Amino acid sequence: MSDSLSLPLRPLIEESDRPDALPVEIAQINAQWGAFRDVNEDSLRAQIEQEKYKDPYADDDDENDEDTSATDVDSAERLDLLYRRRAEITQFALQAHMEAMFALDFVSLLLSKQQPRQAETSMSAFLKQTAPLGSLDAEVVHPPPKPESAAVDTKTVSRGWRLQNFNAGANRLLDAATRLETEVASETRYWNEVLAVKEKGWKVCRLPRDRQALGVQYGFMEATPIFRDRGLAALRRADDGSLMLDKGLAPQRARMVRVRVKSCKGISGCSRVHPSSTNNAESIEDRIFQARDTLYEEELFHELFREARILGNQGVTTRQNLLQVPVSSGQEILLDLVDMDGDPTPDDPEIASTEDDTLANAISHSIHILLAYAHRQNLRRRTQPPPPLVPKRRHTPEYQLLRPVMAYLQHSSHVRWLESFLGDLHQVLKAAGLQFELNASPFSSLRLPTTPSIPAAEALVQTFLIPFESTFSCKLPSAQGSFKVRVRTSAMSPPLGTHFDISVNIPEYPDSQPPNRIGLQEEAAEVLTHFTMLDILSAIAHNSSPSAWTAVYPHHGELMAISPTGQNKKLQVTLSRHEISVRASSARGFEHPAEATDKKPVRSQTWKPNTPTESLSLMDFVAEISKDDS
Amino acid sequence: MTTPSQDQIKTLEQSRQRLAHLTRSLASLITSLNQSDPLPTWSSLQSQATIISRNLGSVSEHLSENHELLTSLVAFPGPEYPGRTQANILEQLLRTKLDPRVDDWVARGRKAGTSALEDRGSLSERDLADLWDWAPVAANEDARRRNWGGNFTLEERESGIQNVVTGLKRQLEDDDDDDEDEDEEDDDQGEEDEMEIVGARKSGTGPGLEFDIAAVASQDQTPVAPVVPLGEILRYMTTGAPPGQR
Amino acid sequence: MHELLLFASVPTHQHHELLRQLAGLTAMQPHHRVERRLVFKAYRKPGVITTRVGASQDVQGADMQRLNKMLNGGMFYTQVVGPVSELAFGAKPSSSRNPDALMSGMGELPPSNENADNSYAYENQPWKLEFRDIPEAGTRSAVTSRLMASSTLPKGDIIESMNAWGYSFVTEYVVEGDIFIHNDIVIFLHRVLHYPTEGQEPNEPRRILPPFETMTPLERTGSYVLQAAITVQDGGNQEMMKTASQHLFGLREQLKSAVRLEQADRLSLDTRAK
Repeated sequence: MSDSLSLPLRPLIEESDRPDALPVEIAQINAQWGAFRDVNEDSLRAQIEQEKYKDPYADDDDENDEDTSATDVDSAERLDLLYRRRAEITQFALQAHMEAMFALDFVSLLLSKQQPRQAETSMSAFLKQTAPLGSLDAEVVHPPPKPESAAVDTKTVSRGWRLQNFNAGANRLLDAATRLETEVASETRYWNEVLAVKEKGWKVCRLPRDRQALGVQYGFMEATPIFRDRGLAALRRADDGSLMLDKGLAPQRARMVRVRVKSCKGISGCSRVHPSSTNNAESIEDRIFQARDTLYEEELFHELFREARILGNQGVTTRQNLLQVPVSSGQEILLDLVDMDGDPTPDDPEIASTEDDTLANAISHSIHILLAYAHRQNLRRRTQPPPPLVPKRRHTPEYQLLRPVMAYLQHSSHVRWLESFLGDLHQVLKAAGLQFELNASPFSSLRLPTTPSIPAAEALVQTFLIPFESTFSCKLPSAQGSFKVRVRTSAMSPPLGTHFDISVNIPEYPDSQPPNRIGLQEEAAEVLTHFTMLDILSAIAHNSSPSAWTAVYPHHGELMAISPTGQNKKLQVTLSRHEISVRASSARGFEHPAEATDKKPVRSQTWKPNTPTESLSLMDFVAEISKDDS
Repeated sequence: MTTPSQDQIKTLEQSRQRLAHLTRSLASLITSLNQSDPLPTWSSLQSQATIISRNLGSVSEHLSENHELLTSLVAFPGPEYPGRTQANILEQLLRTKLDPRVDDWVARGRKAGTSALEDRGSLSERDLADLWDWAPVAANEDARRRNWGGNFTLEERESGIQNVVTGLKRQLEDDDDDDEDEDEEDDDQGEEDEMEIVGARKSGTGPGLEFDIAAVASQDQTPVAPVVPLGEILRYMTTGAPPGQR
Repeated sequence: MHELLLFASVPTHQHHELLRQLAGLTAMQPHHRVERRLVFKAYRKPGVITTRVGASQDVQGADMQRLNKMLNGGMFYTQVVGPVSELAFGAKPSSSRNPDALMSGMGELPPSNENADNSYAYENQPWKLEFRDIPEAGTRSAVTSRLMASSTLPKGDIIESMNAWGYSFVTEYVVEGDIFIHNDIVIFLHRVLHYPTEGQEPNEPRRILPPFETMTPLERTGSYVLQAAITVQDGGNQEMMKTASQHLFGLREQLKSAVRLEQADRLSLDTRAK
């Protein structure tokens, strides 16, 4: 591995020829069994019997001991290897000990002649039993000088081993250096990446269950515990030091809540994928973002589901992975949790158009914001002094996610209807030359908040949680009369749903007042038409000084003019959202209106918007009738 | 032929002692191997290996120093030796032939030692000897120049340790220089007013999170133990009775 | 209502670190709190008062009943606690010109928040009566447990009302600290501050507060007391009491490397007036 590094002290590498097996085996037998003469057939047979029951893998690689690449053995094998190495070390040590003991025994016995007391201390118990002290003699002789070759041979052997050991030592050091270097490199890489994550503002902490590991916290502290506790993933180190986000058992797929709008024709709109997490899933931060977003989406869906279950009475239905929320006749919102990989709007055969994409996106943004708001509320609640402990567990109220959206859509639909209705009425009256002044302030309840005690973002969201209100005020043709419509939609507190509160001011008919809190559009329309008609009557009565029209049956639209000549005249006014018509007839006296219809009309005129009539305005027409025959 | 002199006996006695040390250190290694599962700590293994190696070295040194005497000393069984019954023990004690494994080891060393000189381009015997004389000293000198402990690398120290981002709240001490005053100033600047909210809370039951509270010593204030016991403070808060009076 | 508590003494040098640790543990920023605390002592045998206390328009009927019950139970020390803003210290007094406006602000807001200028209106100081019984004896669980009750008092000068109930003013001090909420547990890391002594201790609550810097800690090394408290609605419900102490033990365990939360010496919390 480090061949590039050449050190002068490394000798040429000896071709590692297998050491002669026989000497090794003899040594092994010596070590294992003692002297050959102690080995007999019986003990060997006993040994063989034992071996039969042993793990066949336990003893099989005495041969290729060096290089079992340690990387791909699993922990059990490693442990096994470890025990085998341990046995080897023990065996070597035992043998060395035995050899050293022989030498010591020998010297001790030799010395026991001269120094029996000291020598005895270092003799083995076995030797003490067998050989009496001082039973070994020694003499100094003058041996012939050893040949030169013996000394050279010793030198050669010593040089050989020195070289080999230096070589092995150098290799080990280089290996260790290389290993440390790669380790340092990957540690550096790992910590740099961890630091980069931290510098981006993520919270990095120790994992509670795995104290040795680091984790990054991306979750939401105020989420329901099951989601809150999932907001932590381990930052593991890959072998090369790169950072891995380990979310444990949590799904790896990116998911999102999809909002679709369904009209009678089919799907007419679908929310877009939030762009933050899709561009590049490679960097660690993107993966953290993705994990966080997915967690948020899953929590959002969970909370939507929880809220939907209490909205059954408002037509919300839940299926396994789908929420259906009716908003108006023919329109329905579908919510589901889908995988984000690939196209979030697949070639769904149901997709009819994309005209409501904006609506779908707006709903999607709204529910996301509302969940964030709910989190803030949780924080607020959690950091207030808690009430005393009581046996009943505190129920976490369902978050307001769907209800504000439903209320808004419902309100907006009612307001649009009212606008178009009053617009139509305006057109009709304009065609008849009557004055009608409309002043609309839709969503007048939505005002930018000025409460300083809570953050602006929260205050803003709050205005969407109180009942929605729109007001319309009208000045009627008589210039004295007026009415005011207050449309109010509440999704949270009763009275639920949308109501019209109409207040009318017609000086002529102070006692005529509409009913309180009208729930149906038709009823509201009827009331508004009726009171406009009443006002027109009073306008006619005021304008016609010569013949003095008086409203005889105002609620039926009838006016009467008593002529001094005895020729009484009658006017019948009818108003609808499409037209206004006036019918004049002669009458003898006060008659019941039903009978009056039998009379042959003298004259009649109808005004409709957008049909240019060259004819007179309503007032001129009445004036003409007044003049007739008079 | 003479009996060994007193000096020679003394030499033998030294051999005996050194061998006794070696035997003991080997025995202790065996014991510690037997007593631990799977292995003794690496540091204890290493220190035992060092001791054995040192004892081995001292035996070897002694043997070569007294080479002359020891080669001229001949041992033989005296008449007291029960040669008839204990012949094999005697054989074992007086054996001069090497154990086959050792023999093999010697042979391998011989082969390596011979081939090392034979190859062209390799160092001569003399050069090798010079190298081996020089190398231990040089290696030792080089090793001494480095700081093997310490919290900072040379590189980090050169570019100024105050720039090192440790991510630790406690201050790492640098052994080499003592500019602690500066360090403390740096530390104060980094302090924020907002408390950092770290970690998660532990839910009462089931899989929850736990907050990690590290016992970190504050560095800017010297610890002063309260002088009024808690009980006295509570008493004062309850009844207005000043501490120290009952 | 019952209150279960654990206490720990926190040396000054550990205070900042502990604040951080608590912020981490509770995942919230500390709520700083300064309270005036008035100590009162019963001087009359209980059970003789049926007085209608004047100036109690802002005490509701239920509160009134509770007050009477609390104060007529026995001879006790009791505390009157009023939150103040740190800005109120050293501020010039402001007399309340508009009593109607004062009545409307019945909340917990410290008075100086209502006035833009830094002034302190004693007449406008909200008070709460905090009654605590002596901790229960011989409970084997290692927490302090005691009967408690609290009730809103009339604003401003309460001496007269308290006297009418048979209580006399003993002394007053200020508690300054930070509150954290950890699930059901209220953690209050606080210390007692003394008013600067200029001669005679006044025998009624101060109408003007001295500058905050002149306040001195009772414990002169400036150490803090960590109090962890949990309240239980029905002290007779053994199950609830057990749950509450387990919550406290959980907290003790989590904080053990930082502080040692312990039961207080029962007699140091003895509220009986002898």
